[in-house]
Amino acid sequence: MSAGPVIPDYGSPSACVANNSTFCVDWFTAHWSNLFWPALVQHIELTVIAVVAGFVIAFLMAVLAHFQGWFAMPASALSSFLYTVPPLALFQLLVPVTGFSVLTVEIALIAYSLYLLFTTILTGLREVPEDAVRAARGMGLTRRQILFKVELPMSLPSLISGLRVTTVMTIGTVAIAAYVIDSGLGSLILKALQSPFNTQFIGAGALAVILALTADGLLVLAGRLLTPWARSRKAA
Amino acid sequence: MRGLRRTPAAVSPAPVPAANAAPATGRRPLRRPPARRSSRVLAICAALVSVAALSGCGAVSETAGKPTVVIGAKEFTEQWTIGELYKQALTHAGYNVELKSNIGSTTVIDGALTSGQIDLYPEYTGVILQVLARSRTVPHSAAATYRAAKAYEETRGLTMLDPTPFQNRDAIAVKPAFAKKYGLKTISDLKKAGHVVFAEYPDNMEGALGYRDMVKSYGLHNTEVKTLNIGLQYSALDHGQVDAADVFTTDPQLARGGYTLLDDTKGYYGFQNVAPVVRKGVQEKQGPEFARTLNRVDALLTDQAVREMNRAVDTVRLAPSEVAARFLKANDIS
Repeated sequence: MSAGPVIPDYGSPSACVANNSTFCVDWFTAHWSNLFWPALVQHIELTVIAVVAGFVIAFLMAVLAHFQGWFAMPASALSSFLYTVPPLALFQLLVPVTGFSVLTVEIALIAYSLYLLFTTILTGLREVPEDAVRAARGMGLTRRQILFKVELPMSLPSLISGLRVTTVMTIGTVAIAAYVIDSGLGSLILKALQSPFNTQFIGAGALAVILALTADGLLVLAGRLLTPWARSRKAA
Repeated sequence: MRGLRRTPAAVSPAPVPAANAAPATGRRPLRRPPARRSSRVLAICAALVSVAALSGCGAVSETAGKPTVVIGAKEFTEQWTIGELYKQALTHAGYNVELKSNIGSTTVIDGALTSGQIDLYPEYTGVILQVLARSRTVPHSAAATYRAAKAYEETRGLTMLDPTPFQNRDAIAVKPAFAKKYGLKTISDLKKAGHVVFAEYPDNMEGALGYRDMVKSYGLHNTEVKTLNIGLQYSALDHGQVDAADVFTTDPQLARGGYTLLDDTKGYYGFQNVAPVVRKGVQEKQGPEFARTLNRVDALLTDQAVREMNRAVDTVRLAPSEVAARFLKANDIS
């Protein structure tokens, strides 16, 4: 080993990369499979876990608040308080407890999602016309049947709008999670700032925007498919 | 939200006046009190959520009875590559390894180490004395710096493996035009340049290698400082936002040229070899081959090798994992 290490030839960058031009398509496509695609998948995973878990919790809170009116105030106060904490601060507060882990990130993301989801689900439930609920009760439906057969379907538009805003917001917040875990598109953005490189920065940023728009579009589509009566009413 | 201010009565059935008692119990069509039911639904969903959360957190896998070793790396190029080198060499030697890269600054990653979130990370000997031990003075040789750093870490339930041949020291860089204009050769020459704006990274303001001591020991009185994260000093110099910057000698952005280093005539910036800082107990758990593997990698890290790998990541823009893999392969480690 006295001769010292063998240093492989790492070659040189293309002119575009060497000059750190705005966007080098060649580099982007060359690193799609080992850099951008894995980061995109991680970003989607982090987002889906947060939105699904947040939705389940917010849904339970909203149903509870709908049945037990007293619960609405504290639930709303708590979730809106969590919503106002700056993301970076919340991540840093959680790190000593749960470490530099996915758990830290998910706790924060779920905390952020609660307010919008809880509010939109509860508003949806409360704005179901009184007549519809009374008619259902008159037909002998139980409280639970009324919830699942009448109130929930009728509050779907509000619920979907809540999911849309929350999903788009979460996709943005996941980018900040790179301060805690080396994962997702935020990690590429952070590293491209640390060692300035426009192509990686712009590529990862654009992917995050495209991901948010796509998710939003898919939820709009899902909302349409789930509420066929709304379409037939419009057509009529 | 105004929507939430409504009284509960707004949704309760008209015939039953909502008393202050639990409104649910006054309704007939219900077969079971809803409070109980919702608590059961709550329990089910709490279980669901925890399953979802757990599935998202890479559960620590323990194959072959040895716990996973978690390696940390700080927030700049050289660390990303060294972290990958450690990870890949250990993986190749049959250990279970996880790499948490880009964790943060010295103080942040040291907290992660002492709290057991990571098991080891590569650190610079001088930085340990300055940032963590807060020494007022620095030793006068690389070996003495390593010994002092190791002795300090030993007091905190940590230990250090062998140091690398290479050093990544601090230096003061200016633009050549600026140096020419005022005839700057050494750091103390900056006195000739009037009001000087310095770029310094946040970790290095205080302490024995820090900005405040540096301006004091060189007698630079007419200075101002801007804290900038590692890696951003060069564009600040290029755009004239700062006149001088604390830079790292192995930084490829420096090797690219276009900067003049000022002589550190007082030897202010000490010595900065790298060595893995490991939590005590990790080596016992992993066996003697563990330290040998890391020492083999570190022995290969000469100035030239590290500069070239930094260039591969920072200039050629290859992924640190790829750069590390090719280096290890060229040297028969994987």
